[in-house]
Amino acid sequence: MEESITFKDRIKDSVAEFGLPRLIITGFLVLLLIMAPFVGADLPTQISNIINRFSWNGILVLAMVPMVHSGCGLNFGLPLGIISGLLGATMSIELGFTGAMSFVAAILIATPFALVFGMLYGWLLNKIKGGEMMIATYVGFSSVSLMCMMWLVLPYSSPNMVWGLAGKGLRTTISLEGYFDQALAGIAQINIGNISIPTGTLLFFALLAFAIWAFLHTKTGTAMTAVGSNPAFAKAAGVNVDRIRMLSVVMSTWLAAVGILVYEQGFGFIQLYMAPFYMALPAVSAILIGGASVNKASIMNVIVGTILFQGIVTMTPTVMNNMIHMDMSEVIRIIASMGMILFALTRKTEGSR
Amino acid sequence: MKKINLRQASVPIMFIIICAICIPLSGLSPKMLVNEIVTRMGRNAFLILSLLIPIMAGMGLNFGMTLGAMAAEIALILVCDWQIVSVPGMILAAIISVPISVLLGIFCGKILNRAKGREMITSYIMAFFVNGIYQLIVLYLMGSVIPIKHSTIKLPRGYGIRNTVSLLSMRQKLDNMLAVTIGGVKIPVLTFIIIAVMCLVIVWFRRTKLGQDMRAVGQDMEVARDAGINVERTRIISIVISTVLAGLGMIIYLQNMGNIATYTAHSQIGMFCIAALLVGGASVDKASIGNVFLGVVLFHTMFIVAPRAGAYITGDSMIGEYFRVFVSYAVITVALIMYETNKRRAKSAASQRLQEEQDAESPAGGENS
Amino acid sequence: MKNKRQFLFRALAIILILALAAVMFVIGRGHTVYFDNKDAEYDGKEYEAFYKVVVIKDKEKVAKLESDDRGMTDLMGQTLTVTVEITDEKGGESHAHKVSMPVPYSMDGIVINVPALMAGLPAEAYMSEFVPIAAEEEDEDEEVVIDEFEISDDV
Repeated sequence: MEESITFKDRIKDSVAEFGLPRLIITGFLVLLLIMAPFVGADLPTQISNIINRFSWNGILVLAMVPMVHSGCGLNFGLPLGIISGLLGATMSIELGFTGAMSFVAAILIATPFALVFGMLYGWLLNKIKGGEMMIATYVGFSSVSLMCMMWLVLPYSSPNMVWGLAGKGLRTTISLEGYFDQALAGIAQINIGNISIPTGTLLFFALLAFAIWAFLHTKTGTAMTAVGSNPAFAKAAGVNVDRIRMLSVVMSTWLAAVGILVYEQGFGFIQLYMAPFYMALPAVSAILIGGASVNKASIMNVIVGTILFQGIVTMTPTVMNNMIHMDMSEVIRIIASMGMILFALTRKTEGSR
Repeated sequence: MKKINLRQASVPIMFIIICAICIPLSGLSPKMLVNEIVTRMGRNAFLILSLLIPIMAGMGLNFGMTLGAMAAEIALILVCDWQIVSVPGMILAAIISVPISVLLGIFCGKILNRAKGREMITSYIMAFFVNGIYQLIVLYLMGSVIPIKHSTIKLPRGYGIRNTVSLLSMRQKLDNMLAVTIGGVKIPVLTFIIIAVMCLVIVWFRRTKLGQDMRAVGQDMEVARDAGINVERTRIISIVISTVLAGLGMIIYLQNMGNIATYTAHSQIGMFCIAALLVGGASVDKASIGNVFLGVVLFHTMFIVAPRAGAYITGDSMIGEYFRVFVSYAVITVALIMYETNKRRAKSAASQRLQEEQDAESPAGGENS
Repeated sequence: MKNKRQFLFRALAIILILALAAVMFVIGRGHTVYFDNKDAEYDGKEYEAFYKVVVIKDKEKVAKLESDDRGMTDLMGQTLTVTVEITDEKGGESHAHKVSMPVPYSMDGIVINVPALMAGLPAEAYMSEFVPIAAEEEDEDEEVVIDEFEISDDV
């Protein structure tokens, strides 16, 4: 579609599309980067942090793309996929896998869960077209709180995961040492001075991002975009709208499952119970900051958005602390990310949702 | 129509069953249980009433009621620092909270007008956004810009408010006025009178011109606009009223609790109030005062007995606590799904009728409107 | 014409509410009043503590003080009205005095020395501000929890 637009129009459009909040956030990050050396923050460490956090979170943000494309809106139901990932991770440890092998096993075990959950979720979202985002939010919440009970009840017994005294019930945080801690990050890691680059994780992200990009250019992928931009037209063109939407939801859910595993291997811990509760919100705001809207998102949006968002998350505490001795980073993060989501929701989009 | 009514009744019936199972297992004496429920009725009913008006205006469940709660908390913190105590303190807090609530309500209403058709998710995100601003004010500006005198509520570092602010000087002062004890059950008569007056006001409001306008807007915005109603303004007013009422409700709520959990008290108020209303048989587009009271009784009975019953069955009290949280979310989820499917069914029925009337142009079914 | 009337009504309502707020400021101001039954000194004269003092506020006994004791009560509003029952010596008859006094708005805690009060001395002799003795020795900074995940126990 975009080929027919001239370059000048494109710039004009992109400036209009860019929007004030995005401009403020980008400006803020640039300001932080400029300020950093002056307030005594070590820039290489900061950049290293941003790259690391990008590698942890990238795939979770990528998980937004398929559902946005098929017109299901922003995937506030991300926690559902995260739970599949958590099931994979805990079961892989329970079954006795260790080291890098446990990461592969976790993905393999998480996949069927993600497929089943994703299909149920997709079936539900097909029933309630038009109200996806709100229901997605609450599907996420319900599943997280249901799993809170399950983590206590399910018959896990690995001494590394259950409460020491009771001998049952999973702990709230489980260390991944000896399991898949740094499983990807450790591959071909580059260390130059203060900068360390988790090559493996970045490559893994690139692989998945490329796969999604390629998929979106296949016949099914273009059908997905068509369903998202004009469902009536897609239907008339003989596309099975419900099936395409279902596929996109399953893809999003699976990506979320893999995303949380990648996050955990970088972070070094599995966090259970209420931890996945609000994990959708940072991912949603990241992709929006990157330039996506409620019904439009590209891989580029994911990359730019994750870098900007994680940049702010990592830079603000240090820079702020050094500058005014007030750690306002938490508050700034909330206001910026929620403001971004609000802004996106108030944009007029074709086919109101 | 009958079918829908049955579906509407299904949630309360389910809850009656849950309560019927859990009450004997919890081992609570009837007197204790009744006492708890009466207390919670006084504590929560006003807050839940604040949800009714946006539903009437077709804006769905107002997750932005948290905004009012935050306004009330700011007012109470200030009043607490000024050492205005007891009922006068509450009245003063109410007076201070109203302008804050009105401003937040106008802001929220304007944003929601720009997000028609997805009011709920927007008001939900709105609550988070304003929570950020609330934290900015309470954690950084209070004590540094806004004068806070007493070290009992200020963080030792010199600015920001402590995690909990004691409202000992106000604790249950409203509830204890005119309180009557019948058979060991304390009834906060004055609080109930206030709630009753609020109910009457809502009944009256429905019949006013503005109330009629709101219902018209809730039915169909375009038709209302054609009838000469200022749709945008009406919607903003409904949110403003809701926010203000939520603020007043929060003051009643907090005087009963006796302290403010500064950074968490408001965060889940919206969720629990909405869950209670839905448990009472309300839906996203229809809610009555009866739903409020039935909801409070059923939801809070479940809330009280579930952890104990859970502990009795599994020997682990956490399961019951997670269970009640799960039920709260599940109820909202089910209600939202029911609302959307009903809406979709009605829409496709309408479009089918349209299709029969004019075969030439086929409408886009339920997806594109 | 209608607009003018509406404006007038609104202005009146706002003034009324502001007036109500002002009234609340006055009648709702809370103080903590401490009663001391201690020796007092004023203008070079000594006033000895009583053997026993009972302070009654709103028909409720709020403090029973032996010599050198301190009692306290909460007060709402700007006027303190109490009945002080004094027993001069062991086994002696008590005699009651009703006293009423305005309290300064700015003081949170007010210390009243009963012997000085009973001797009819001026306000600055028997009334002083209660200063909490450096209770803020908590050097450890309170960690602020903005935990959004927490399940509240009670709603």
